[in-house]
Amino acid sequence: MIRYLLKRVVSGIALLCLVSTVTFMMVFGATGNVARNILGENATADQVTALNSRLGLDRPLMVQFGDWVSHAVRGDLGPSWTMSESVASALASRLPVTLSMVTIAVAMMALLSAMLGIAAAVRGGWADRVIQIVSVAGFAMPNFWLGLLLVLTFSVELGWLPATGYVSFSASPSAWAASLVLPVTSLVLSGIASASQQIRGAVIDALKQDYVRTLRARGVSPRSVLYRHALRNAMPAALTVLSVQFIALLGGAAVIERVFAIPGMGSLTVSAALIGDVPVLMGVVVTLIIVVVLVNILIDFLNAWANPKVRMS
Amino acid sequence: MRNRLILSALTAAFLSVPPIAKAEVANSPETLALAGILDNDTFDRAGLSIGHRAQYWMPVFDTLLYTAPDGKTMPNLATEWRFNGDGTELTLKLREGVKFSDGTPFNAEAVKANLEYLRDGVGQNTWMAGAIKSVEIVGPVEVKLHLKEPDPGMLFNLATVGGAMASPATLGKADSKMLPVGSGPYIYDTARSVTGRQYVYKRNPDYWNASAFPFETMTITPINDLSARMNALKSGQVDAGAGEGQVVTEAEASKLTVSRLPVDWLGLFLSDRDGKMVKALSDVRVRRALNMAFDEKAILKFVARGYGEVTDQPFVPPSEAFDPSLDGTYQYDPKAARALLAEAGYPNGFSVTMPDIGTLAPYTPIITQQLKDIGVTVSWVKVPPNVTIAELLSGKYPMFLFRLGSQSPWADFNKFAFANSPWNTSKAKDEKLEALLKKAQFTPPGKEQNAAMQAANRYMVENAFFAPWFRIDSIYISNTQVKVQMQAQNIVPWPRNYAPAK
Repeated sequence: MIRYLLKRVVSGIALLCLVSTVTFMMVFGATGNVARNILGENATADQVTALNSRLGLDRPLMVQFGDWVSHAVRGDLGPSWTMSESVASALASRLPVTLSMVTIAVAMMALLSAMLGIAAAVRGGWADRVIQIVSVAGFAMPNFWLGLLLVLTFSVELGWLPATGYVSFSASPSAWAASLVLPVTSLVLSGIASASQQIRGAVIDALKQDYVRTLRARGVSPRSVLYRHALRNAMPAALTVLSVQFIALLGGAAVIERVFAIPGMGSLTVSAALIGDVPVLMGVVVTLIIVVVLVNILIDFLNAWANPKVRMS
Repeated sequence: MRNRLILSALTAAFLSVPPIAKAEVANSPETLALAGILDNDTFDRAGLSIGHRAQYWMPVFDTLLYTAPDGKTMPNLATEWRFNGDGTELTLKLREGVKFSDGTPFNAEAVKANLEYLRDGVGQNTWMAGAIKSVEIVGPVEVKLHLKEPDPGMLFNLATVGGAMASPATLGKADSKMLPVGSGPYIYDTARSVTGRQYVYKRNPDYWNASAFPFETMTITPINDLSARMNALKSGQVDAGAGEGQVVTEAEASKLTVSRLPVDWLGLFLSDRDGKMVKALSDVRVRRALNMAFDEKAILKFVARGYGEVTDQPFVPPSEAFDPSLDGTYQYDPKAARALLAEAGYPNGFSVTMPDIGTLAPYTPIITQQLKDIGVTVSWVKVPPNVTIAELLSGKYPMFLFRLGSQSPWADFNKFAFANSPWNTSKAKDEKLEALLKKAQFTPPGKEQNAAMQAANRYMVENAFFAPWFRIDSIYISNTQVKVQMQAQNIVPWPRNYAPAK
């Protein structure tokens, strides 16, 4: 088990190095207009040159890369070029916002899609058809459109929930929850479709296996067959689709953050990209890769825990 | 048992890592809650901005002078000012008894430190102190600014970023980017503010002019998306924020108040007046023809929804260079435009390359069509949004469409009229214009100087340096809880322009 997880960690580090290097070469190789963007239209050419020099952009690309790597491995992602705070500080305040939104959305998605998927697989017939239709309808709804609809109804018309913004948990748990209800709902509804369909398929497949027939023949209760045996075998497929959803939501959350004016990683990325704040972009890329790698390792761990065959392989 | 333990551990892990930031301050009748389009970038004295971002620093940093909503320069921390005869010295008498919120006294030394820090710093508006050669301390509450040459925009500068006063103890300190200390009507509340999320200001109990700022608390929440901003306004989360033409009907239907004032102008910059890239543009008849090629009234009505005023000049009232008689210089007349082109030797028109800017995309097909009507063929080059300004200023394009903000006339002339002006992107030199500008610069402030600046404006209009279409209204939306006065020459109101409705 430990050897299995170690292998996953090593491949994650390799991925982090590769993507960071490629991203660095792409974004730092195109910093010709950054100083002009920062200094504005009235800056003289001398001022632009001086700022380029101060930012270290007049050095060879490989020297800049070496400098960035030597600081990054010590956890120093440098100062932002356009904001008053450091990259690490900007990430520290934005990452929890996005992570709390996405984590809750995936947890809700796991719960709801498991309920729907199992119900559709076990009951079949009209229940299966209704659940499939509802799932596909959810899939067809763009989450930003759903978000706008929700905010108009529950914030503007009814005044039950805040229309925009984010309140931290430590400041007020209830306000924190209220600020997340609508964004999380927007993210969850469109994601349930694919997850519930995967779970439905995996449960149907598991219920057709020989060992299920044997268990039933031995008189094991249908409830126990489903929850103790079939679901355990269906778990890898469900976990995989949820991990994919988690990663997709990390990227997709940018749209929802915009609709609800939530200051998370998405809005940070968009503003940094528009003005060319390369250190922030690099920080975002590195952070998101680390999150993705950790999520994948967690999923692998859960898979291995649930299914001995995975550990053996 | 094991499953329960794992579930409990996961739940505890999640709950134990709450976001580190602090609370949002909710709106209330004692609070002025604003939505900002842009996030604040810095509180460093040398990096302050006008425009949208002025709202972030103005509550904390009081200015030497201020501009009233109608654009008039008013006393503030400087109670009196006077230029010498040739405009190279500006003496300022300072308000006595004022202190920064860290206890440092506001005096002549503080003014000197601030102006020198801005002049020698790195930022978008260091040019506002660029004309200052030295700052002489005449007395504890009197300074004399020695200028390299007369700067007719100096008073405007001292009423905005140029005159913002930070505690001298903080100038150049690393944490001054995030922790502003000033003598203004409000104190930045670091305990309740979260960078990027919400900026909170509490009343400064020692402020000398508290009655001009009736709210106890002020908050600014950056909300970049227009729909989100409208939702925040409609739900009462914020009291006011910038709007756009497409939401005016929705705002009025929601019983919000819509205020409008022209601040920017939109039009073509006919930059290649030396004809280095497109020879035709060096002929004034061609440039005049381009001024007659566009049906600005229809464009304003159908694309900009009528929120603006058709114009032919690159200045917006109440700029002293604005001359109402210049509007109407060029009428939409494609037939006469074609005749002018033929007279200039281009009966079959010519071809030109223009940058396609995403924010102005609705105008691209109109330009293509209306220039085609007079025989001019446009080929477009896509410009990514993150490099728009740099690309336009690079001098690659012989002409381009752009929306430019208008501030003090001298600041505007410096933007686009001189050979080295940034928005004179081809660096075309016109000695007659520079002579007119020199005359305006060296004429003492007053009616004569205004007339001299209007003469320079007239020269630019008659020689078709631009093909302005219309002045665009800045649209600002507020709820019924506050009254808002629009601010001349700035896209959003200053903090002092808000008051409770009741």
